[in-house]
Amino acid sequence: MRSLYVLVTVCLLLAIFGPMLASHDPTAINIPNRLRPPGGEWLLGTDALGRDIFSRLLHGARWSLGLAFVVSLLGLIIGTTVGLIAAQGGRVADWIAMRTTDTFLAFPELIAAVVIAGILGANTGSLIFALTVTGWMRYARIARGIGLSVGNRGYVVQARLAGLSPLAIARWHYLPSLLPSLTVVWTGMLARAILGISTLGFLGFGVQPPMPEWGTMLLDARVHMRSAPLQMIWPGLCVVISVLAINLAGDALRDALAEQDAKT
Amino acid sequence: MIGVFTGFLLRAIVVLIGAALATFALLWHAPGDPALAIAEARYGQNVSKEVLDFIRSEAGFDDGFWTAFWAWLSPLMLGDFGQSSVNGREVWPDVVTAMSYTFPLALVSLALGLAVSVPLALIATRKPGSWLDRGAVALASVGVAIPAFWLGLLLILLFAVQLGWLPAMGAETSAHSILPAMTLGFGVAASLTRIIRSGILEARGQPFLPAFTRRGVARRDIARDHVAPHAVVPVVTVLGLELAFLLEGLVVVEVIFARPGLGSFLVNAIFARDFPKVQAVVILAAVIFVVVNLAIDLIYRSLDPRVSGRDA
Repeated sequence: MRSLYVLVTVCLLLAIFGPMLASHDPTAINIPNRLRPPGGEWLLGTDALGRDIFSRLLHGARWSLGLAFVVSLLGLIIGTTVGLIAAQGGRVADWIAMRTTDTFLAFPELIAAVVIAGILGANTGSLIFALTVTGWMRYARIARGIGLSVGNRGYVVQARLAGLSPLAIARWHYLPSLLPSLTVVWTGMLARAILGISTLGFLGFGVQPPMPEWGTMLLDARVHMRSAPLQMIWPGLCVVISVLAINLAGDALRDALAEQDAKT
Repeated sequence: MIGVFTGFLLRAIVVLIGAALATFALLWHAPGDPALAIAEARYGQNVSKEVLDFIRSEAGFDDGFWTAFWAWLSPLMLGDFGQSSVNGREVWPDVVTAMSYTFPLALVSLALGLAVSVPLALIATRKPGSWLDRGAVALASVGVAIPAFWLGLLLILLFAVQLGWLPAMGAETSAHSILPAMTLGFGVAASLTRIIRSGILEARGQPFLPAFTRRGVARRDIARDHVAPHAVVPVVTVLGLELAFLLEGLVVVEVIFARPGLGSFLVNAIFARDFPKVQAVVILAAVIFVVVNLAIDLIYRSLDPRVSGRDA
């Protein structure tokens, strides 16, 4: 459990402070030293344009993890809002909100994201839009489900009768009971967002070169699979380690919450 | 049950119309002049204004959003997917050809995933907490964290480039399907193992099981008649997610292994800005996804008597 916290903290710190540790400019082209093997001045070697792979990985953390953080947080806000509107707003609002959610759930998320990002043009803005639009529905369902059950409890009914505004009820009565479950869903969506960002980058619809996003780096490395196979290892390993750390943290959090529930 | 079924069906129709609208709206608001994109794809650079106007009226871009939407939707409901805006060919026959590559691969991968995950979960749960169990959990956790495109590349690197045992690119022979199926099957196996394992463990925790043991019911009979039915329910509920996972993996895997299936079809259509093709694949994916989820919902209801009568 403690090693897990360490792993997640390391991932976070790397995303925030990683670029400061970089020994080289991640986009500086250095053709004479292209495709260098690991070691010496270049810790993990250089890519086909002579850029330092280690520095690119460190900067890439900010793209891959940072964007995933933004996307999953936006999804959390939108989804929770939709879910709470459905739970509090009466039958018509509930029907509209839930059929909208179902409609967005009608597409496999990543395929929809590929189409949206591809059609809107490959840039970071459409990447964020594509992954947010396809990533809020689970929050909405959870928020609605818990919201409906909380809404019938005595203290919420009393608050409503006392004339508390729906916004205040949402803030003081719904959110506290929602937060634990939403946090668990959020960790899962964060991991999915990392996978989504790197997949879109790899397909050429995500973060564009020369920016060192991990999936985009793999797209570059793929061409030189025969001459420099190691290049393909590092970015993928970064994705796997961060997704694994976040997934395990999410599992641990869920178990801890279940234990807490069982006690009360 | 029939009431539940019609309710579900109505909801599925509403959802599919919404999905069609969302798809069309996205393409309608796509940046750039779609007529220009079509013209350039057909006739190359330097297109005259008359040609652009002709394409606009031909594709119905002049008539406003709802007219254009209806002009696309009404033939679609009769199964007419229209023509490619780039080469003018009918979209549907090309989609069928692409599907003939995609569906067998999907089924083989799913079968492979089941063939690995079910025995693995059964062995792992024989002694929860043993090194075998921990190993299975660790393998599954790493498995779900590996992106399909990276696993595919690693398999190509090992089996095609370094060892030279298997072909990597194309889909000519059945040997070409081995690496793609391994890539997808591994992901499916990893996530299913986790789910089946926790399903079995949860089912074992049911409070009525010790009563059977004390009455002397054989362990095998308990496992078959009382643990298995309980363990299946959570597995069925996540099959929809599993399908999404599989479809998403297919897109990536087909691109990596240069297979001419639906995924490559979609990605190429996006790059070529061939909107009728994009629409066709997206709608098809939505229909498959909604129909399968509907089926899963119904199976779930028939398996779990506690929810079977209730409306959703």
